[in-house]
Amino acid sequence: MANNKMLIGFFVASESIFFLMLILAYVNFHGTITDGPTAANSLDPLRTGIFSLFLLASSFSVWLAGRSMASKNHFMLKIWLVVTILLGALFIYGQASEWLGLIDQNITISRNVFGTTFFTLTGFHGFHVCVGLLMLTILLGLAMFGDFKGPKSDGVECVSIYWHFVDGVWIVVYSVIYLWAFL
Amino acid sequence: MENLGGLFNPSSPDMEAMTDLTYYILAISIVILAIIVVAVTYIIIRYRKTPGDKTEPYQNFGDTRLEIVWTVIPIAIVAVLFQLTCSTMKVIDPPIGDREPDIVVIGHQWWWEFYYPDSGVITANEMHIPAGKKLLLRVESIDVIHDFWLPELGPKIDAVPGHTNHLWFAAAEPGVYLGACAEFCGTQHANMRIRVVAQTQEDFDKWQEEELVVPKTPRSGIAAEGAELFQTKACMNCHTIFGTPAAARIGPNLTHLNNRQTIGAGVLTNSPENLAKWLIDPQKYKQGSLMPNMKLSDSEVKAIVAYLEALK
Amino acid sequence: MSKIPLVPENTKPLPALGENQGMLSWVASVDHKQIGIMYLISTMVFFVIGGLEALVIRMQLAKPEFDFVSPEVYNQMFTMHGTTMIFFVVMPFLIGLGVYLVPLMIGARDMAFPRLNALSFWLVVFGGILLYYSFLTQSGPSEVGWFAYAPLSEKPFSLNKGPTYWALGLLATGISSVASGLNNIVTILTMRTKGMTMRRLPLFVWMILVTSFLLIFVIPIIASAFAMMLLDRLLDATFFTPAHGGSAILWQHFFWGFGHPEVYILVLPAFGIISEVIPVFSRKPIYGYEFVAGSTVAIGLLSMGVWAHHMFAVGLGNVANLYFSLASMLIAIPTGIKVLNWVATMWGGKIWFATPMLFATAFIIEFVLGGLTGVAIASVPIDWVATDTYFIVAHFHYVLFGGSLFAIFAGVYYWFPKFTGRMMSERLGKWHFWLTVIGFNMTFFIQHFLGLMGMPRRTYTYHDFPYWGSMNLLSTIGAFVLAISVLIFIWNIRRSLKHGEKAPDNPWNAWTLEWATSSPPAVHNFDLVPPVRGRRPLWDLEHPDNPDEPNAKIVL
Repeated sequence: MANNKMLIGFFVASESIFFLMLILAYVNFHGTITDGPTAANSLDPLRTGIFSLFLLASSFSVWLAGRSMASKNHFMLKIWLVVTILLGALFIYGQASEWLGLIDQNITISRNVFGTTFFTLTGFHGFHVCVGLLMLTILLGLAMFGDFKGPKSDGVECVSIYWHFVDGVWIVVYSVIYLWAFL
Repeated sequence: MENLGGLFNPSSPDMEAMTDLTYYILAISIVILAIIVVAVTYIIIRYRKTPGDKTEPYQNFGDTRLEIVWTVIPIAIVAVLFQLTCSTMKVIDPPIGDREPDIVVIGHQWWWEFYYPDSGVITANEMHIPAGKKLLLRVESIDVIHDFWLPELGPKIDAVPGHTNHLWFAAAEPGVYLGACAEFCGTQHANMRIRVVAQTQEDFDKWQEEELVVPKTPRSGIAAEGAELFQTKACMNCHTIFGTPAAARIGPNLTHLNNRQTIGAGVLTNSPENLAKWLIDPQKYKQGSLMPNMKLSDSEVKAIVAYLEALK
Repeated sequence: MSKIPLVPENTKPLPALGENQGMLSWVASVDHKQIGIMYLISTMVFFVIGGLEALVIRMQLAKPEFDFVSPEVYNQMFTMHGTTMIFFVVMPFLIGLGVYLVPLMIGARDMAFPRLNALSFWLVVFGGILLYYSFLTQSGPSEVGWFAYAPLSEKPFSLNKGPTYWALGLLATGISSVASGLNNIVTILTMRTKGMTMRRLPLFVWMILVTSFLLIFVIPIIASAFAMMLLDRLLDATFFTPAHGGSAILWQHFFWGFGHPEVYILVLPAFGIISEVIPVFSRKPIYGYEFVAGSTVAIGLLSMGVWAHHMFAVGLGNVANLYFSLASMLIAIPTGIKVLNWVATMWGGKIWFATPMLFATAFIIEFVLGGLTGVAIASVPIDWVATDTYFIVAHFHYVLFGGSLFAIFAGVYYWFPKFTGRMMSERLGKWHFWLTVIGFNMTFFIQHFLGLMGMPRRTYTYHDFPYWGSMNLLSTIGAFVLAISVLIFIWNIRRSLKHGEKAPDNPWNAWTLEWATSSPPAVHNFDLVPPVRGRRPLWDLEHPDNPDEPNAKIVL
């Protein structure tokens, strides 16, 4: 059924407008902050950059999972799903520890517009990563029970499209928040 | 037409330009509407199905040439409308350059503050201007979005917190012009009215001088009691009276309340009786107003009224 | 994937409304027809609620300095009236009509995602309950208007819970709208019956398709704004609070970035209804099909670039103002093309003025009036005169009531026989029609003048300026005439459900596929979908000697 992939395609298009608005809000306030924390004085682009690599790598691994399924290699499908979940979880760990560090310095969502836009944008992205992890875990469970006979599965392909999207959004978010402040 | 007000009684050159444009474009609209109405009426009469007629009419699927015609004509009309719009804009909204504003208008929930930077006059709800002069207003807000609007004198302009706007403003003839806040700003949006008093230059100068006088605080009698109450009964927490410690800007500046025609941004005409009524229970006349019922006794009300009346 | 069929096959046909089949068969339904009908019924409930709110507003304004209700209640009423009518009446009605009709019109068994369809419907109900739950909170529902301008809608200016419930409720319906937009798009793009090419798609389906694209691309704008507003209100974020570095104008950009395309979401499916009704009752094909469909796409695209014409008084500067002025005026062109094509369709026809056609004809006039005032206020200086006055109230009621709602009434009378198997009463229908026309114009026409005379919107009281009292009183009387017309409408529906004349499969002798099945349709929609060789499959069947596309290949 092409329907499912078409649905997820348009859904992702719709979601990208949602993120576009959050990014525009961030951009809108970027130059207006006169005092208090900003991206430049409170973020660590290198550390977050390393954690970002995990997310980028997970896009690759979910692609490999799809390839394994296409070649009916069920064992590798499970392995790559596990790898994807671990990489995604590492990224979330990185984000959580970054947040805790900021909150420790009293940089919160209510501190100033940087806090507001930063936590909202990264928070909604993190939420999407978590939803993706949930779906990947369900896929893994189904794979364990031998649900995917291959070579095609809308379930795996749709989650994979979504996961690539979450990854793509992060590239933009990282560029706008981290690279813009430090380059 | 004059007593219809608003667009029907344009009282400044800018408003006249806007009225002309509105009439012009509405006339075009009415012509278009009339064409459609006539066509539809004709169709209703001419092409009604006769009872018993079971045949189908000629099946006409369209005509590309006709479609092009009725695409091009609206494009031409739109071009005309836009041209008219641009030329009117040029008249009524020229660039400000580095001109300083003559009056600063500040929106508050639910009253207006007017500040004259040149003379230092501060007043509320009633803006005096010299007639026949093109003034530049700077429009601001300290709380929510308001909109400064005199329907007979020109465009509306929003008073946006954190964003400064400018408005060219004039009244051709002396007179009193009524306006109101046009952007919904909360409970008492309806009673956030504006009076513009356009005066001859001499009268305006005289008014300005009066406003600048720092009144003497009464030393004796009931008015002196009122002066005392004003400082002790929390009035001073919100209001200013020049020459006293009261210098807060939450409510209107009351130094020359006597000179104003209304109380509460237009809810009551200004008289000692109405002022007393207002002081007894502002919420009765302007429910939701930020001025609370201070639970003053009758004698306290009398004293404060006497004090405010005595400020000259 | 597993081969479980998406829809459990019911054995019984769709129950007619009066028959007692148990509530569960409705609540648990994933059938597009049952969901469609539930949409229509719930919008009727909200329509009555929103109408009562309107009556409170008009009562309060019946005379100068009246104190029928307090300012707070008045503000709550106009906030809830606008929100209800837009998000819980017109939008879900048109979506619900689409849910019912799109699969039938394209010859499909159901929507592409029946469960998602059910989710969409129940989310609307959930959103409505959230919105109206705010009546039970201590300080009542939101009183900051349907536009909820910041910072008025923020702390410390709105400390009540109303705006929070308002935003949550609309967020729920927003998710619902995106879901139904996605569902419609996939359904229309992939589930058309053989021979139903995009160029043969019924115009109603075209309009639903364009609307669905608008839904999935503009609802996220307001969803993100609601998220920001809720973060501001609940977690003290500072998006829209200028006192803490936020921006009041940003909210307006987001709101109208959604809000203006929303206008077309509310009116394009109505255009679709009109484009179905007028040809059938004129006994002619739609004039210039490609131009009607193409102009819809043009409107959809243009509508996303005109939002700041709602913000001419904000002070964005002349360059921005003039751009948005021109862009907004351009929308008049595709809209004009549509109107002229409808008129051309009627021209030379043999018109049967049954109730649906009466409403469709009145629609043209009322909508053109609303559209023309719309073009006028796209001109910046005229907007500076008219914005935030009753002129605007009159303008958008001509578009949304004279436009969308008249079309909705036309649609109800037109498709009621298909939905229920019974005809609506023509006699009551004519009463409904004439009272609606009289009441509507009486209420709103006069408001153009009130606005130009300087009466601001959203004010719970007004001074007794010359003529203001009598003009407002006239408007209020008109509102009550409208209320009576709605009562007649509801009575007509109730009565016709029980005692209406039994409807044949195709009572209007119409041409689209939904009329090729029984009234009401069987659960599986069609025993046999007729072959589609042109835009009017049933015409082709009836007139084999004179088909729309004589050279069309016969697809078997």
